[in-house]
Amino acid sequence: MVRTTYSLADLPEGSTGTIRDIDALSPTARRLLDMGFVPGTPIKAIKRAPMGDPTTYEIRGYQVGLRRTESALIDVEIKPDVK
Amino acid sequence: MSNKITTNSRNVYLVGNPNSGKTSLFNAITGERHRVGNWPGVTVQKIEGITDTANGRLIINDLPGTYSLTPATPEEEIVLKTLDEAATGIIINVVDIANFERNLFLTTQLVELGVNPVVSLNCFDSFTQAGGSIDLQKFSSFTGTTPFPTVARRGEGVSSMIDYLSRPESLTIECCNNMLALPDLWKKAAEDVLACQGLKWASATPVQRYNALRELISLKPLESDIKVQEIRRQLATQLSQGREKPVKVIDLACELASDRYRRIEKLIAACATIPGKSIPAWQEKLDAVLTHRFLGLPIFALMMAWVFWTTFSLGEIPMGWMESLVEMAGNFVKANVQEGLLQELLADGVISGVGGVLVFIPNILILFFWIAILEDSGYMSRAAFIMDRMMNSIGLHGRAFIPMIMGLGCNVPAVLATRIIDNRFQRLLTMLLIPLVTCAARLPVLVLLCGTFFPENPSIWMFSLFFVNLLVLIFLGHMTSFLFKSVENSPFLLEMPPYRLPTAASVWHMLYEKAMHFVEKAGTVILAGAIVIWVLSVFPREVPLSFNYEAELAALKAQAVTAETTEQIAALTHKRDIEQMEGRYMARIGKLMHPVMAPLGFSWRETVSLIPGFLAKESVVSTLTVLYLPYDEDLGKGMRKTGMNKLSAFVFMLFTLLYIPCIATLGVVWRESGSTKFTALSLLVYFVIAYLVSFAALKIGEALQASNGTAAEAVTIVLVGIFAGWYLLRTLLNTFIGRQCNSCAGCSGCPSKNSDCHG
Repeated sequence: MVRTTYSLADLPEGSTGTIRDIDALSPTARRLLDMGFVPGTPIKAIKRAPMGDPTTYEIRGYQVGLRRTESALIDVEIKPDVK
Repeated sequence: MSNKITTNSRNVYLVGNPNSGKTSLFNAITGERHRVGNWPGVTVQKIEGITDTANGRLIINDLPGTYSLTPATPEEEIVLKTLDEAATGIIINVVDIANFERNLFLTTQLVELGVNPVVSLNCFDSFTQAGGSIDLQKFSSFTGTTPFPTVARRGEGVSSMIDYLSRPESLTIECCNNMLALPDLWKKAAEDVLACQGLKWASATPVQRYNALRELISLKPLESDIKVQEIRRQLATQLSQGREKPVKVIDLACELASDRYRRIEKLIAACATIPGKSIPAWQEKLDAVLTHRFLGLPIFALMMAWVFWTTFSLGEIPMGWMESLVEMAGNFVKANVQEGLLQELLADGVISGVGGVLVFIPNILILFFWIAILEDSGYMSRAAFIMDRMMNSIGLHGRAFIPMIMGLGCNVPAVLATRIIDNRFQRLLTMLLIPLVTCAARLPVLVLLCGTFFPENPSIWMFSLFFVNLLVLIFLGHMTSFLFKSVENSPFLLEMPPYRLPTAASVWHMLYEKAMHFVEKAGTVILAGAIVIWVLSVFPREVPLSFNYEAELAALKAQAVTAETTEQIAALTHKRDIEQMEGRYMARIGKLMHPVMAPLGFSWRETVSLIPGFLAKESVVSTLTVLYLPYDEDLGKGMRKTGMNKLSAFVFMLFTLLYIPCIATLGVVWRESGSTKFTALSLLVYFVIAYLVSFAALKIGEALQASNGTAAEAVTIVLVGIFAGWYLLRTLLNTFIGRQCNSCAGCSGCPSKNSDCHG
């Protein structure tokens, strides 16, 4: 099966990916982990703000806006055909 | 409210995620109204409330909202710091059941540490309406907690919870197989860490247990001691068993969080049915419009225009009433109190001071009416989402846009509006920058000054003043966020709460609290400041005069009225007034300060006029007019006669614009920041910036004026000009185009490259 890995920041609007990895060295990542951004969790990019940043994501049934600096810490994978 | 423990009182602590309805529950339990909002982070300080039951008193402590015990901000640290104390009382964990998994994370942390909270399963109505269900019996026995379904906004389910809390019998629940408890591997490792400190898990306090766990997942493993390192390595090896990919020590934090969520998922699967779709379709449609790529900004701009217009234009009507009321009171005092010091104190000191406070009330009420509605409806988070990029370009949070734009009307309600920013650092930063936003009251002063000094073309000078002001604002924003980058690393997480209809009660209580808070807290400071300035400007009463004016005036008045005597009387009165003014404390302080200001090319008169400007900037002009009377009736001409040229006038205006916010703004900054140090420091910052900018402007101006200036000087000036322009342009460009496309360039494989970029 072919899988593609993205940074969450580059996950296209409207598509869903699965969190694969998160930068363990960043203190910010700790908070994201606590909020449910753990590997294996599906996450959907809902909408980018009109000026291109931040982006709202849907994860574990709630919506949260992240800036690029935060979302870049997370790697997601999506199956190209699911997009 | 005191912490006094009566014989029959229990301490209750509310913990929960931001926006979980914690503050609503607090209000529902205590009946004491506090701010209820629909955005994360309403509670910023520890708030206490009391409720009396048949079995005794409950003291309710509302702790700051947090997603996790691991603090990301100083406010969240409070929760961890209070944990041991709270464990001796009752902990109510407010859980938004509509957002179950994430809310249970905090519950899991508490249970792991041996705390068995009472769980308020809040927003239970929307959960069941969406088709969710939960077996409370199972939930209780699987977690060792006591659950209560509640709808805090409407107070449902609260009375049975209060009843339970006040019951005298033991509140612990025996639970043999806790699904949220720490797995054995982790517990063993934490016990080993505690053993290194000579502690035992069974007898350790929750915070000691928490610290042991924190040691295990610490980011900087090299700092912990050798034994702990060994424990961490062992734990990682044990966790790696049966996995394709071995667990690294650095991944332990990720492992623990994942493990917690696995336990939560299992628990939910065992006792509840979660509705498939938690966000209703109409909300998604509304969101699609309100945060639309093209429509989002105009809609927001229209809303802001409406809020601004009603606050400041419509607000002028009740402000007029306030002003006439104050005037009436003043006239009443003047008519009924004997002429003298008391009358002056009452009329010019107290009443005008009180009027200076009351005049803000209409603005504050109207602005907060809209803020309450925007917040409670959930739109505020969307507004922050839309504006974040722009505000972030000067280091601010998206939520800071509303306070900053309100600053154009008046800095006072703007500073109060910083309450909507939940992060303390961001709030202080916004408070620091707001006084640099030119408020409506400063505008007439600038118009007056520019008209006085530059009667030929005032507008171009106005424009350049605004330009410099904007540069300073952006620069200060950049500088502070750059300087404090290392201190401030809390992540940007903007939760999008569901849209809700604001409740009348919640809006009303916000208005009531805001108005009372302002009058009580900031009002007293503003009043005190007004009186101090008044005292400085009228004391000492008796100024030794160089000449017996009264005798001479009396003699002149006794003579026949001719054009000559009238002129003489006027001249003498002027002279006397000026001499008196020079003798007052204000002028003395001004003269004392003059050496400091002299490098900017100010005479002592300008220096003196800056002191009443502290109260209100328009006083600068009125004071100057009096001080320059002996030279000319016209202020501009008078200033020119004493050697002020266009350049020094411009520098003076620049300084007036920047040097200090008015006392009302300062009062609210002091109260809202809750920090004297911050207020003093920001005052110093404004003063230093004003000084440096004015000095630079003076030097550049001087160099420009000297036509025979060297080439080096000319080059410097041109460079400074280009740099300033580039700086401004770059910030603006960053806002609107920015790095949006750089990131796309970095991901060449992006399949949506064409649709997602440059859009």
